[in-house]
Amino acid sequence: MFGRNPLSSRLQEYRLTLRILVESPSSAVGLAIVIAYAAIAVIDFTHPSLIGVQDAYSMIPDYTSPVPSPPVWPTHAFGTTFPGVDLYQAVMSAIRVDLWYSLLIVLVGAALGTIVGVMAAYVGGYLDEALMRFTDIFLSVPYLPFAIAVAFVLGRALDNVSLALAIVWWPLYARYAYGQALSVKENAYIEAAKASGVGSWGIMLRHVVPNVLTPIFVQISLDLGTIVQVFAALTFIGFASGNPLLPELGTLISNGFQYAVAAPWVVFFPGMAILIFAIGMNLLGDGLRDALDPRRRT
Amino acid sequence: MLLLIPTLIGLTLIVFALTHAGGSQRLLGSYISMHSKIPISVQEQQLAERFHLNDPLVVQYFYWVAAFVQGDWGYTKTQVYSGTVLDAISLFFPNTLMLAVLSSILTAIMGIPLGVWSAVRKDSLLDQATRVISFAGYSIPTYWLGLLLLIVFASSNVCRCLNIFPISGTVSASLISGADWYSGGISYPTHVLVVDSLIHGRLDIFEDALMHLALPVVTLTYGVMASVLRVMRSSMQDTLDHDYIRTARAKGLEEKTVINVHARRNALIPVFTLLGYTIASLIGGVVLTETVFNYIGIGYWTTQAMLNGDVGGIMGATVIFGLGFIFANLAVDIACGFLDPRIRH
Repeated sequence: MFGRNPLSSRLQEYRLTLRILVESPSSAVGLAIVIAYAAIAVIDFTHPSLIGVQDAYSMIPDYTSPVPSPPVWPTHAFGTTFPGVDLYQAVMSAIRVDLWYSLLIVLVGAALGTIVGVMAAYVGGYLDEALMRFTDIFLSVPYLPFAIAVAFVLGRALDNVSLALAIVWWPLYARYAYGQALSVKENAYIEAAKASGVGSWGIMLRHVVPNVLTPIFVQISLDLGTIVQVFAALTFIGFASGNPLLPELGTLISNGFQYAVAAPWVVFFPGMAILIFAIGMNLLGDGLRDALDPRRRT
Repeated sequence: MLLLIPTLIGLTLIVFALTHAGGSQRLLGSYISMHSKIPISVQEQQLAERFHLNDPLVVQYFYWVAAFVQGDWGYTKTQVYSGTVLDAISLFFPNTLMLAVLSSILTAIMGIPLGVWSAVRKDSLLDQATRVISFAGYSIPTYWLGLLLLIVFASSNVCRCLNIFPISGTVSASLISGADWYSGGISYPTHVLVVDSLIHGRLDIFEDALMHLALPVVTLTYGVMASVLRVMRSSMQDTLDHDYIRTARAKGLEEKTVINVHARRNALIPVFTLLGYTIASLIGGVVLTETVFNYIGIGYWTTQAMLNGDVGGIMGATVIFGLGFIFANLAVDIACGFLDPRIRH
């Protein structure tokens, strides 16, 4: 144990996690889906023409035939949507946009929540009370109306929607990190660190935070599937109406809304893109939770 | 119980902060009259005086809370309703409550037994099917499910035989026209159409209103039921591994008694503790479902207010959803006490 190189032992840990993950068919499928989406997002960012996308940042409207037309292979694999936009290209770029914003929301929320939760748990006393009551205030309004109200005040734009969702989401991470940090704090190695003269900040950053991060990471992977849905829900009800040509899954469904009955593909494909990602993320999240569970690692 | 007061204060703090963060221009927008002879800048000054906008924020907060407690929640102006926020809530809330209650009942009578059943017959075909259904349920976007249901069951595109349900709204215009107890999408006196049509003895409208309710209720129920089902299943599985279940079986009790009396009641506790989250997702679902189906309620009003830049509507909806959430959670806590004596002591 002591003679081992810390880097190689950490690598072994990762390899073990990956092996447990891939051994279960459901989480392997989840991992594959998530990797595929990440690949689409990255390729769309660097070489959009590789996946047949002409303009990754704006949909190309065709006002000569704005009404949706059915899928035709291979020119319009997913058909077109209002206003004459090729749905395949729009969905591919929208995956990048939605993934980027969702990742941003979860990471900002988790970072903020972890800082607040760990501080409250580790410092304790009045700071604990103040921080956790502050967190409770944010949890007194259900998340969707709350996010709508915050985004409304900030103004109807995608950046503001993601900021609003981060503001709504961080308290959940704060609660979670708080609970984790409280139990980590009681471990003998914290006492050992204290006895050997490490300062409070040192203990918090080097010993508490790393041990809280693993469960937070699992929570992030479980939340991403939900965040993608909620983000697209807010843009669907009209928060992105300032920029109707930005490829975004909720906006695409909202653009196609009035044609949905006559031209079902305009809502089917963007929704499918959300559904498959959410399924993949949920499968992966469940798998990660099992794989990182110490009781299962023998 | 004691946590109720700080949470309520928290809610007022949030709503106050949000109302005032938008700036006075936005706040006073609905009060300023463009046709008045008084110049707009003078009007603004008078309004700022009236709403104490020149005082420090802390003082403003207390003025705001005082008005709030006395029932002055401001004005709303959207296509669905113009008037005071409190009136709008009293008109829209019953419809929303109806939707939420129907789907909670469906969730309870379907989610809990299915969860128990699927845990008892672990890995059977039924269990596998239930797991797929519940997994799809919390991965599917609510509004998208609503749209799909509309495409399949409310249009004759897929198959004429499936075209069973009306496409949107709360009632067919041809049936309701001429009824003097219905105007502007709102029915009187209870504002819930299914109830009002019975009060006025119109069975045809009652039936039509039920048909209009079906797809929104299914849409709303599916996602919520999926999470209840999942928690119920895993908690029932854990409970069945306990020693007291083995004891109950060993002393010769029937399997039915073991499951229904000994296991289910204990397995329900995690479901109840997670109900807070379930209620939050139910409220979120209400907003989206009402928007997709043009079902006139608080959720529909929220999106209309958002699209029209109507501060009163957004804040009124936030308050009423917040209050609903807080009191539903309180009811859950009390119910938990009944279910589990350990919590009471």
